[in-house]
Amino acid sequence: MGYLGEFEQLILFSVVELGDDAYGGAIRETIERRTGRVVSSGAINTALGRLAERNLVMSRVAEPAAGRMGRPRKYYSLQSAGARELMASYSTIQAMAGGLIPRLTDLAEG
Amino acid sequence: MPKSRSPGVLRRLAALLIRGPESAFILADLDDTMERELARGIPLWRARWRYAMNVFASAFSVWRTRWRMPNLGMSWLDVKLGLRMLVKQPGLTLVAVFALAIGIPVGLVPAHFANAIQAPLPFDEGDRIMVLRNFNVATSDPETPSLYDFMQWRDELSTFGALGAAKTGGYNVNAEDGRAAPVPGAEVTASTFDILRVRPLHGRTLISADEVIGAPTVVVIGYDLWQSRLDGDPDVVGRTIRIGRVPHTVVGVMPKEFLFPYRDQLWLPLRVSALADEHRLGREFTMFGRLSDGISSEEAQAEMTTVGLRMGVEDPDTHTWLRPEAVPFTIGFFGLPKGGFQSMPEFYLVQVLTLLLLVVACANVGMLLLARTASRSSELAVRTALGASRARIVSQLFTEALVFAVLAAGVGLLLADRISVRFDWMENLLPFWVDLGVTPATVLKALLLAVFSAGAVSVVPALKVTGKAVQRSMQRAAAGRSGVRFGGMSSALVVADVMLTVATVGLAVGLWNGLTEARDGMDIQADRFLSAQLRIPRIEPADGAAFDRTEFMARVGATQRELVRRLAAEPGVRGVAVGNVLPGMDHSGRRFELDGENQSGVSENRWAMNARVDVDFFTAFEQPILAGRGFELSDLGEDGSAVIVNTTFVDRMLEGRNPIGRRIRYGARTDEEPGPWYEIVGVVGSLGMNQAALPGRDAGIYHPAAPGEINPLRLAIHVGDDPTSFTPRLRALAIEVDPTATISEPVALDEAFSFNTVTMDWVKIGAGTLIGILVGLSVSGIYALMSFTVAQRKRELGIRAALGAQRNSIVLTIAGRALAQLGVGVLLGMPIAGRLLFELRGVGRTPMDSPFVATLLVGMSVMVVIGMLACTAPTLRALKITPTEALREGG
Repeated sequence: MGYLGEFEQLILFSVVELGDDAYGGAIRETIERRTGRVVSSGAINTALGRLAERNLVMSRVAEPAAGRMGRPRKYYSLQSAGARELMASYSTIQAMAGGLIPRLTDLAEG
Repeated sequence: MPKSRSPGVLRRLAALLIRGPESAFILADLDDTMERELARGIPLWRARWRYAMNVFASAFSVWRTRWRMPNLGMSWLDVKLGLRMLVKQPGLTLVAVFALAIGIPVGLVPAHFANAIQAPLPFDEGDRIMVLRNFNVATSDPETPSLYDFMQWRDELSTFGALGAAKTGGYNVNAEDGRAAPVPGAEVTASTFDILRVRPLHGRTLISADEVIGAPTVVVIGYDLWQSRLDGDPDVVGRTIRIGRVPHTVVGVMPKEFLFPYRDQLWLPLRVSALADEHRLGREFTMFGRLSDGISSEEAQAEMTTVGLRMGVEDPDTHTWLRPEAVPFTIGFFGLPKGGFQSMPEFYLVQVLTLLLLVVACANVGMLLLARTASRSSELAVRTALGASRARIVSQLFTEALVFAVLAAGVGLLLADRISVRFDWMENLLPFWVDLGVTPATVLKALLLAVFSAGAVSVVPALKVTGKAVQRSMQRAAAGRSGVRFGGMSSALVVADVMLTVATVGLAVGLWNGLTEARDGMDIQADRFLSAQLRIPRIEPADGAAFDRTEFMARVGATQRELVRRLAAEPGVRGVAVGNVLPGMDHSGRRFELDGENQSGVSENRWAMNARVDVDFFTAFEQPILAGRGFELSDLGEDGSAVIVNTTFVDRMLEGRNPIGRRIRYGARTDEEPGPWYEIVGVVGSLGMNQAALPGRDAGIYHPAAPGEINPLRLAIHVGDDPTSFTPRLRALAIEVDPTATISEPVALDEAFSFNTVTMDWVKIGAGTLIGILVGLSVSGIYALMSFTVAQRKRELGIRAALGAQRNSIVLTIAGRALAQLGVGVLLGMPIAGRLLFELRGVGRTPMDSPFVATLLVGMSVMVVIGMLACTAPTLRALKITPTEALREGG
């Protein structure tokens, strides 16, 4: 099992939140809304491509809808392997952070 | 289809930049994101800004993934450092940005222009519309086919859906009083509109029935003509307009953007059948067709070759050497070779020349940056000591240079855009499909050149201050001095720089000389002549009778004679000259041989410009006959063999010997049957035979032409001040004499050179600016480097002074090295300049003629003087160093 980078974790959490409506534009908006970070559509799509190669997510292409200049949309769903890796990565961070947050807060506040 | 609200240019740029299997989804997301943001109430300008940022960041991600780009550690910090450097050293910034801002756009010009000319026609699947023409294997030139060819091809070719033909001209529309200018139009086959897949705005297009001889006369008009001459009349269809003296029924109006085949505004049916059997003697048309669905251009070419070979067997007299070929319309229309500009060596010569300018700019900016980087070697050494890798330092210097280069590319494109606005008049000279505006592809290429330039200017400084130099830098940094030692590299750079500058400056000075020489030599008061083109359109007999060429020529002759007679009788008119071309315009050239010369002696030098003129031509221009006699009426006719040559001809072709009585004939190539002999009967002064005023192409031969032999013809009317005020009178007289006659391009003769003197002035300003920039850049670069190298030798010079060396000896040491560098650079640059100038100007058999040598000597002297000046200040500084100071610095 490989480790997930921070950016990949953000994407996978967004896919979880969006459910059946997870595509590039919506994922970008979710990340920006929850974290305030602005990321590019290109970065999201290339990262999703890598995650799909590792069978962590699965994609399906929807027919172009009217009003979208005839362009297609690609939706993503989380695979069980993806869910396991995401949980493992998040647990690792949680395990490391356990009990340290108050001290971290003190340090941050000087 | 709904229109996207994302910005058009950026959208096209996004499509261009973002490539790969995921590109469609990314582009969809980009649009989608913008729509969602607008729906959330974000202002349009902000949404567009975020869209732009998203495009660039996405493109970077995609390409980085695609190329598995290593992380060089480029960061915003480097960009910020680069920006800080811009502000900190404004002088260097100004010079570097200015140099690259000229170099980058100029480097893009040839390809940009070629792509604009060769762009597919702006019709549905416009890239499948081809011109059909013949290629003459004997002369290696494309040839326009005759109507006979057209009929044969139309019947036999199955790889084209339909074939069309067009011929452009000027027509008088509702202009009996002659006040309005003729309208550009074309005779076209009815199939044209189906081939182009265009629909009329009102009414109908032409149909096959219109092509039948004796059918009612009809016309389809363009949007602008409809608006300007017919006041946008909504009931225009069915109305009658007069074209020349013939009433035509308007059957349709085309959309505004339809200007096929050039910039035309009316379309008459082309009635071809009566002329179909004229073989190669028929009229010449542009022929075109659309490839059938599923047929490639190679398949069409294969079929054309088969048909062509059969025609060659059936008509050996006319078609043996002809090979039919199909080429993209925009290439064929201009008679370019099949591969377009990209298959012409001249195109690459121009491309190399323009890129040479960028290379010179990079070399000089590189030297400036090298000197600046050397002065920062201590700082960079400390960064290395603190853990920065070599790649990191190289990346930092590259990023700093990239900031310069991208800024310069932006400034350059902006300047180019502004300058192109000044040339808006040129748009009307170009065909309708040419758009010279800055496109996303141009921006992308400019950015690529910026990256290349950044690499070129930063690579030497970066490698020089990293690697093995670091250890020494750290030791010398401790002593407060620069750790960079240039050794042989500075010499190599100076030599290369001088070589490139001499080559380019030599070329620019040579061209400048050419421009000014010939224009000065034109001894005509061109601003007192009205120049105009007179054309008598050929009218097909409406009753189906065969066209009578002799009768048509007689009609043209009668019109010319009568018009000239009436013009000469006008008050204020001092003379009227008639020719197929006028002084100062581009004349066509032909190879010829001189009587008595060995055939093997005939070479490319025996090449002279031609003009056909009426017998009073030189009198009207008040040009004396310098030797021999002028033309007489007895010289006219098919048996006439008298010609007059100009003084340039005598100087260059006969080296000043007496030309009277000498004979010439054309067609001196071995595969060409020689023409009849002509006898030189007189000599006139040089009147200017090419717009670029290149002296090597100004040797001229004048032939007498009887009225009727030239159509269209050019008139030059000597009317005194403000010649264009005579235009309405000229038009009125022309229409009185023949209602079909059109008068076009009425301008003062000094503005009549089709890419007129304004353009030449711009070229001169451009060449002058170029010389200035190159010299300025060269001086700053050489100065920076020499100054730095002399400063580096302070300690050595101080010690030499302490050991008793004379001042003269020290000066000789420094100056000798500088002179050697400059001398080697000049010697290497001269032959390059010579070859380039020879290629462009075609001066003589050898480039070593006296103006050229003088030019190079001047260029060489200028470089040496400038180089010595660049050394003066550092040398004086070196002489002021005391031995104590030098030894203390060595500490």
